[in-house]
Amino acid sequence: MTPDIRRDPPAPLEPVPFDISRPIEETLENGLRVIIFENDRLPLVSFRLAFNLGDINDPADFTGLTSAMASMLTEGTQEYSSRQLAEKIERLGASISASASDDFTVIAASSLSLYSSEILHLLSEIVLTPTFPEEELDLYRRNTVENLKFQRSQPGFLAGEQAARLVYGNHPYSKASPRPEDIEKLDRETLVKYHAKNLVPNNAIFIVVGDVDRNELIEEMNHLFGDWQPREASVENFQEPPRRDSRTLTLVDRPGSAQSNIVLTNLCIKRTDPDYFPLIVMNQVLGAGASSRVFMNLREEKGYTYGAYTRLGTKRLAGDFEATAEVRTAVTGESLKEFFFELDRIRDETVGDEELRDAKAFLTGVFPLRAETQEGLTNLIVNQHLFGLPEDYLQTYRENVEAVTARDVKRVANLHIRPEEMAVVIVGDAGEVLPQARPFADSVEIYDTEGNMQDETKYVVGDDAETADVAGKWSLNIDFQGQRLPVTMSLEQNGSEVTGELETMLGNGQIADGRVTGSKLVATAQAEMQGSSIEFAISGKADGDEMTGTITAPIVPDPLSFSGSRQT
Amino acid sequence: MSDSFKLPPLELEEYTVENGLRVVLNADMAIPVVSVAVYYNVGSRNEREGRTGFAHLFEHMMFQGSENVPKAGHFQHIMKCGGTMNGTTSSERTNYYETLPASQLPMALWLESDRMRSLAVTQENLDNQREAVKEEKRLRYDNQPYGQIFDLINEMIYKNFANAHSTIGSMEHLDDATIDDVQEFFRIYYAPNNAVLVLSGAFDPEVAKKLIETYFGDIPSQPLPPDLDVSEPPEVASNYREWDDKLAPFPAFLIGWKIPPRRSPEFHALYLAGKILYDGESSRLYQKLMKGDESVIQLFGFTDERRGPSSIFVGAIPKPEKDLSQIREAIMNEIRDLAAHGPTSEEMEKIENQIVNDAVRMRQSSMSRAQQIAEYALYDGDPNIVNSELYDLLAVTADQIRHAAGVYLNTENRALLDVVPAGKG
Repeated sequence: MTPDIRRDPPAPLEPVPFDISRPIEETLENGLRVIIFENDRLPLVSFRLAFNLGDINDPADFTGLTSAMASMLTEGTQEYSSRQLAEKIERLGASISASASDDFTVIAASSLSLYSSEILHLLSEIVLTPTFPEEELDLYRRNTVENLKFQRSQPGFLAGEQAARLVYGNHPYSKASPRPEDIEKLDRETLVKYHAKNLVPNNAIFIVVGDVDRNELIEEMNHLFGDWQPREASVENFQEPPRRDSRTLTLVDRPGSAQSNIVLTNLCIKRTDPDYFPLIVMNQVLGAGASSRVFMNLREEKGYTYGAYTRLGTKRLAGDFEATAEVRTAVTGESLKEFFFELDRIRDETVGDEELRDAKAFLTGVFPLRAETQEGLTNLIVNQHLFGLPEDYLQTYRENVEAVTARDVKRVANLHIRPEEMAVVIVGDAGEVLPQARPFADSVEIYDTEGNMQDETKYVVGDDAETADVAGKWSLNIDFQGQRLPVTMSLEQNGSEVTGELETMLGNGQIADGRVTGSKLVATAQAEMQGSSIEFAISGKADGDEMTGTITAPIVPDPLSFSGSRQT
Repeated sequence: MSDSFKLPPLELEEYTVENGLRVVLNADMAIPVVSVAVYYNVGSRNEREGRTGFAHLFEHMMFQGSENVPKAGHFQHIMKCGGTMNGTTSSERTNYYETLPASQLPMALWLESDRMRSLAVTQENLDNQREAVKEEKRLRYDNQPYGQIFDLINEMIYKNFANAHSTIGSMEHLDDATIDDVQEFFRIYYAPNNAVLVLSGAFDPEVAKKLIETYFGDIPSQPLPPDLDVSEPPEVASNYREWDDKLAPFPAFLIGWKIPPRRSPEFHALYLAGKILYDGESSRLYQKLMKGDESVIQLFGFTDERRGPSSIFVGAIPKPEKDLSQIREAIMNEIRDLAAHGPTSEEMEKIENQIVNDAVRMRQSSMSRAQQIAEYALYDGDPNIVNSELYDLLAVTADQIRHAAGVYLNTENRALLDVVPAGKG
């Protein structure tokens, strides 16, 4: 073989068509829709009983009820205790799980097709006769309250909570999670009533994928679910998400944070919107993956972050667009600048042929990979039916992606990405972030991690504040668990830019991108310590020759305070 | 159910290219996706003293470009056609694999052959990958709570250097690596006759064979690597060690036993004993420690399969204020019970169903099929074991499990690593 054949990437072979056959649909007398997708490739079966009932349907005074009801379904039935259920399911080598999302409640089961009847029987037990035992409910309350508290220590959760509130307003999609007091007041009777009222056959679809005989299955379904009575479903009456007319900045203050968790968001489309395909192609170009524009810019070129992405959250009734990254505190402003640059660029410029081709090749290429396992295929089918997508949705997915043009991309970017009305949410050290981020928004509000609004003025450095002179050699003591650890910080200053060195007993670090605003210093030091590379985030306030502040390292959970003076 | 259940066999075609590259084709047209796996017969067990971490360093080098693929080009090419890819290193082998839309088979073969033939082993690539590996060591081992315990316990179980040392290696040895060392390593171990190539998924075998000949056919073979001695005495190297872990928030412990090689009847029995002890919410130790006594936060166990002497582990993170020695006693009690009375018939039914279920699920994805076929082809010289292994496992009796638990687990010949949180004064 000559080297020439090896020089360039080879052309693909003829595309292999991906024929997903159409399922069979039947409706039981009680209104339960059964969708059967016979597939005898392997002796496996997957069941999904899905309800048009999600967290958004929680009663106004019982946030978290739908999720609690779903989680508790597998914790005891009329015939079996929680432990007996676990043993019965595992003895079949099978699995059953139940959970709720924003829009839906789904009970999922899978097993060898040999045990199809047994697992279907257990599934019917779980759905029709759950008992919500007191002691299991008690455990659920304890664990969930612990988790909710833990969540508030996670910057990603705090950012998501604010973003949902800002985009969705009084629409229930705005509730990212219940509060501990919501969970503590959950009682057995409420769960029993909610279950009886809402898990009804006429509000559900039952999807079966795998090696089954449809006639036998329908017979079994009639036997197990035939007595399940329909009931009128509740009427949804939600407020519209708000119209936004300006760009706002929302800070969640986590003093001493080494990183800023950034979310830029605006209201976007619901899952069934006709712009869905152009938008996913646009999003692939812009930020969905590790070769998309925002990743290449903020991570590969600038090195601000480990990852930067954009995301479409398309739900049943509405949706949102988000651009997100966790960046070093000192480059928060620069990161916003690059994000807005990319958001403007995809709106203003027509995407190039090669970039468009790569984005479409990725989306069409990855599609069959998702359908390789029965679980993957089942998820595609379940989503199609829950969202009410066209019958030929899976069969035409790849054609629909291929049909998107560069003009379409530009059109939907202009329609659905709206930088002038975005909510900018940043979780980080508000004192450090505010001066960097303020110029990017028309208004600002600041919260603590519990969601209480804070007074903005306590973070503001006056416009007339002079940039402090921090150049020189500082002798500082870090307070570490009652001990005072000496460090020396040598700084050079050029306007507001600061560089220098941090010397500690354990090793030295280089400061490359420090900045002084008023009397405040923000810097990062890269240090080599005992053979490890560690990044210190320094946040100080200079008062003449005295300095106080905090220092944060990834290996220490909380910021350490320091104080000291300039050597003269 | 074990008597009646028959899994349709995977269809395999195996042959050897003239240069010694062993090929296994598993055509399965169900989904238009193809996976390609290349397994090189080199792992940390092949490393010499003073040169630990080389096999893994080399895995990184394989993504640094070759004659016709630029640095990072591998990832970009795969990504752009909607594929996925990775590479991993163990004691036994180094593997590389990708899953792509079926039409992109030539892309996978082009990429794999270009680096097998002409990897860019340059000083610059070596320097920057050495730094990347050090960073990975810091991130995944040194700066993680409990990050080093599996490397430590291997040193306690095994006496033979080939088995005992870690895959990530030592910083000093990585620093000592010269460009000549690395070139030599590539020549010896990354030869076509030291590798197995497996294709699984939607392809025409005749087209695949032509492509394989085109891309791999003229890569020169090399003299085979030197023979390797991985033999071990039965006793563990050390029974007890206390480890100060600066990052661990809670005490923890890990118990390890030295057991016979993978696929031996004893290993099969111990693998199933492990499932009975620690696998799933109805397992004995989960019910005893997580539910009954509520004494642990986390419980885990697994077997480490090797061609030579292998190992099995059980570990736990106890709840604060719980007595570690009592928890260990509870574990040994369950093992003693298993060694005395063997599994119950319900437990036998459960593990039979679970291993059948695992075997069927494994066959769904072209990537997991390709990986399993490649292991049997490389380790056993017979890819057809992918079709018979399930029945070997199903043939294991309750009495064999009882016996193996008695000989290999209910013994003082085990290693105990105690993790002491040393971060807070």
